[in-house]
Amino acid sequence: MGESKLRSVYPTLLPTRRAFLSSALGVSAYVLLPDLARAGSGGGIRALAFDGDVLLAAEATLNVSEDNGGTWAERTTPGKVLAMATNPDRPGLVAAGLEKGGVALSADGSATWRIGNAGLPDGEVNALAIASRNPDLIYAAVRGDGLYKSEDAGETWTLAMDRPWLKEAERDPLTLASVDLETGMGGIWIYAGTEMGLTRVPDCFCRWQDVQPGNAMDALVSGDAPPPENPLPDGEPVQSLASSPSAPERLYAALPSGIWTSADGGVVWTQVALSAATAIAVHPRDETYIAAVIGGTLKLSRDGGKSWTATAAG
Amino acid sequence: MRPIAGMFLAGIATAVIGSFVLAQASPDETAIEGLTFLGEPVSEDDLIAGKQIYAESCASCHGENLEGQPDWRRRLDNGRMPAPPHDETGHTWHHSDRNLFIVTKGGVQAVVPGYESDMPAFEGILTDDEIAEVLAYIKSTWPERQREFQAEVSANDRGGL
Repeated sequence: MGESKLRSVYPTLLPTRRAFLSSALGVSAYVLLPDLARAGSGGGIRALAFDGDVLLAAEATLNVSEDNGGTWAERTTPGKVLAMATNPDRPGLVAAGLEKGGVALSADGSATWRIGNAGLPDGEVNALAIASRNPDLIYAAVRGDGLYKSEDAGETWTLAMDRPWLKEAERDPLTLASVDLETGMGGIWIYAGTEMGLTRVPDCFCRWQDVQPGNAMDALVSGDAPPPENPLPDGEPVQSLASSPSAPERLYAALPSGIWTSADGGVVWTQVALSAATAIAVHPRDETYIAAVIGGTLKLSRDGGKSWTATAAG
Repeated sequence: MRPIAGMFLAGIATAVIGSFVLAQASPDETAIEGLTFLGEPVSEDDLIAGKQIYAESCASCHGENLEGQPDWRRRLDNGRMPAPPHDETGHTWHHSDRNLFIVTKGGVQAVVPGYESDMPAFEGILTDDEIAEVLAYIKSTWPERQREFQAEVSANDRGGL
């Protein structure tokens, strides 16, 4: 559904950023969509997320489904959403990166929103992650700028790290995932997909680095460590990443070449769908339950990507 | 060996070793409570030496007061990252003793193969003991929370040296 269509229904519920910030609290609208096709074609979906069993799909507007994509309801947001993140330890928490800049946060599954972006620069927030072990810790990538973090649930932000350096240039994260695997530095990893492939940084933000076998401490002595046996295709954009909360080493990635999955934290990848993929999310309690936009269609898989079924939105 | 006899002998051995250590130790060599490096005690002498080495070999990049280079989270024009602070505002305290030792001795590329950094490897410039002393000095400047965190990271580092 296009934004213009939504404006025609709720013309006052799409405030400018300035107006929204001045009002402090957001408003929301909830529209049941009896016509399933209204939920979107799938092709325009920029981001997917699971909030418990609820599937969220962000395109020009945000649509939610509580019945595995059978029916959809539309939610208003403070702006066009480019990225979303949730955390299974705090049901209802949804963080949304906005095209016009800033991060919107909902505590009720996207029914209402607030903006808490003090310290966040202007610019598209095109990638987001909520720390797996701490729902108050949120990471946001600002296009053309860097990676920011908030330790107070999005109220205030500070620069955490410049953008990753890949193939002789800084690259914008297109997607972020907090991956609950130990770094050996007292924390866990943040993975980023970029236009030039996959990279990751420990949550102490010492340095962006390639994915290597074992934890960072194993990498200490890896002058003789073998390279990843089967990395993602070299130089291909990684559009979307998902780490399974129920099995963090299980990763999924959406690339122009299709859907890829890894069972070892990103060292060895296997292709499970061959059509161009742009967004992916994994269920918080079932690492084999995936939602993805493949070939412009929103599809679900209940077996880790071996088979796919188009949703009503597709 | 029966347990009691073993305990008796162990007690004698401990007493002998303790007497030897006390006889040898000067006040400056006394271990500083709560501060170790790679499991070894750190003395005031070690810290004095470490502070001097830091001033000579590290401060030009990491700052006289361990504050790092300005805007250290932003990449330099050459694509490399500036020298980070070594005080509690940086990330040094997230790394184990083993990690810090290897990075200092072998450069960052010893941790992340292929990583390009302006920090040199200090192997051949500083001895292992000198590297340990300067890192012990850096650790000694951290507040309690950072020291406790880093001690746990070091304790959980299963790599060994």
